[in-house]
Amino acid sequence: MAVTSQELRPGADLGGTLTARQSWSRLPAWLRRVIILAVAVAVWELYVKAAHVSHLVFASPYAVARSFVSGWLDGQIAGATGVTLEALAIGMAIGIGSAIVFTVLATWTTVGQDALMMFTSMLNPLPSIAILPLAIIWFGLNEKALVFVVANAVVWPIAINVTTGFRTVNTTLLMVGKNLGLRGWRLVRDVLLPAALPYIISGVKVAWAFAWRTIIASELVFGTAGGSGGLGYFINKSQYFLNIPDVFAGLVTIAVIGIIVEVGFNMLERRTVIRWGMQATS
Amino acid sequence: MKAPGALGMKNQQSDVSSRSQPDVKAKEDGPVTSSAPLLSVEHVKISYRLKNTLVQAVDDATFTVMPEEKVMLIGPSGCGKSTILKAVAGFIEPVSGRISFAGSTNITPGPDRAVVFQEFDQLFPWRTVLDNVVYPLRVTGRSKPEAMAQATTFIEMVGLGPARTRFPHQLSGGMKQRVAIARALALGPPMLLMDEPFGSLDAITRTRLQGDLNRLAERAKVALLFVTHSIDEALLLGHRVVVLQGAPSTVAAVVDVRDINGPDDPHYRSIRRSLEDLLGAPGEEEPDGGN
Repeated sequence: MAVTSQELRPGADLGGTLTARQSWSRLPAWLRRVIILAVAVAVWELYVKAAHVSHLVFASPYAVARSFVSGWLDGQIAGATGVTLEALAIGMAIGIGSAIVFTVLATWTTVGQDALMMFTSMLNPLPSIAILPLAIIWFGLNEKALVFVVANAVVWPIAINVTTGFRTVNTTLLMVGKNLGLRGWRLVRDVLLPAALPYIISGVKVAWAFAWRTIIASELVFGTAGGSGGLGYFINKSQYFLNIPDVFAGLVTIAVIGIIVEVGFNMLERRTVIRWGMQATS
Repeated sequence: MKAPGALGMKNQQSDVSSRSQPDVKAKEDGPVTSSAPLLSVEHVKISYRLKNTLVQAVDDATFTVMPEEKVMLIGPSGCGKSTILKAVAGFIEPVSGRISFAGSTNITPGPDRAVVFQEFDQLFPWRTVLDNVVYPLRVTGRSKPEAMAQATTFIEMVGLGPARTRFPHQLSGGMKQRVAIARALALGPPMLLMDEPFGSLDAITRTRLQGDLNRLAERAKVALLFVTHSIDEALLLGHRVVVLQGAPSTVAAVVDVRDINGPDDPHYRSIRRSLEDLLGAPGEEEPDGGN
């Protein structure tokens, strides 16, 4: 179907394949993705139909779509998504707040910087989900434990990125700011923050990715332990009742939210750091 | 009529007397010499810390800049000429000696000594050309319409009217330096501090910008303290040249060059050679510099 837009070249087979390849790369990127997705879904549907897989193990795209729609309409998935996003938002807010405190300390004092460096190199490589057992002991089987692991996943990448951003701000720009008589908060707001923006954005991006994976994983653990009501819990519960289409619907929801946030970040970058020619080289 | 350039040159700290004699009559457009100096640097000694060691950059610097006068600071690389400029700008504090500007010895960074740096990245990358010039005006208290009008005028003046909505990363090096000059001049400062602003440009662009600067500084009636390591640039732009020597440096001579009317002037070669001798590196500075 991709060949249709291309002018017909009668004769040579070789010429035909070449034109197909050319016309494929000439299609807009979104259309190419949609086509690949459609093909993948078609293959999936055909496989389920042809192989007669038990629907207790695998679901057809049609069944998944039906579960997805009904799950959103009857509020089950929407409710679960709300619970997850709420815990995520609180955790990220606490994480970002703590990151700001650490960043200020690390920017003004050498001890602060050393401490931040040490804690980051120790705690950043540790998947935040690994501290969930401790968090459950400290906070109990409730939302607080979730918020804690999310905050922990968020604070280190942001603190380290923003600190690096501040430390690497071009000294010439700082001197220009001072030359204009800017001091204190004004200098921070009008020069330091925008100059460090590429690092700030990439820090928040990494933090989001960590936080999103952490909260879903934590909810799955919570699911087996009972309690909570987020997306991970929803998936776990559906699996328990062998409602496989619902499991898939939950996974699709998680993926879609991830894609939406990613697109949001891309738009933000295109409007700011890319437009200004100051993407961080990381 | 033409005072022999080499006559104006004497050894250290004879500048005030040597300057005023021949040139005042020779050129009516020269700056007023009777008033008090706008900037005076007296026996300034500057050290700065570089990784736990104290580097002494300037041992003893003394010179003055009169209102609307263009003074060039010249010296070999690493002689502390930029350091002196930074001290005048208020970014570094001298160990001893005295700097006084417009009657005040309390030197902190301020827009009355607008700085133009060598680095191309001195523009705010997140602001357009227009915003880069408007913002400093707003910060220093101009109303929005006033700042817009002033900025537009100066951007037109440096020939960047059509590029005013572009972001710095969409400009060439020469265009960026033009914006930086427009930004500094738009503030209407009594003095402009320039730290090798054309040092990173190609020879053709540099020559063009030197011409532009001469024209603009004349019109803006601004005093200039200009750091360079190019003799030709100093001769082209300056009224007087302060020659620094040694590390830590001292002022070797202050040379009056305001009568030199470009490379065709009969005195150009002799004064150029004297400066080369003072700098101790004949012919080492860009031979293609000022024509």
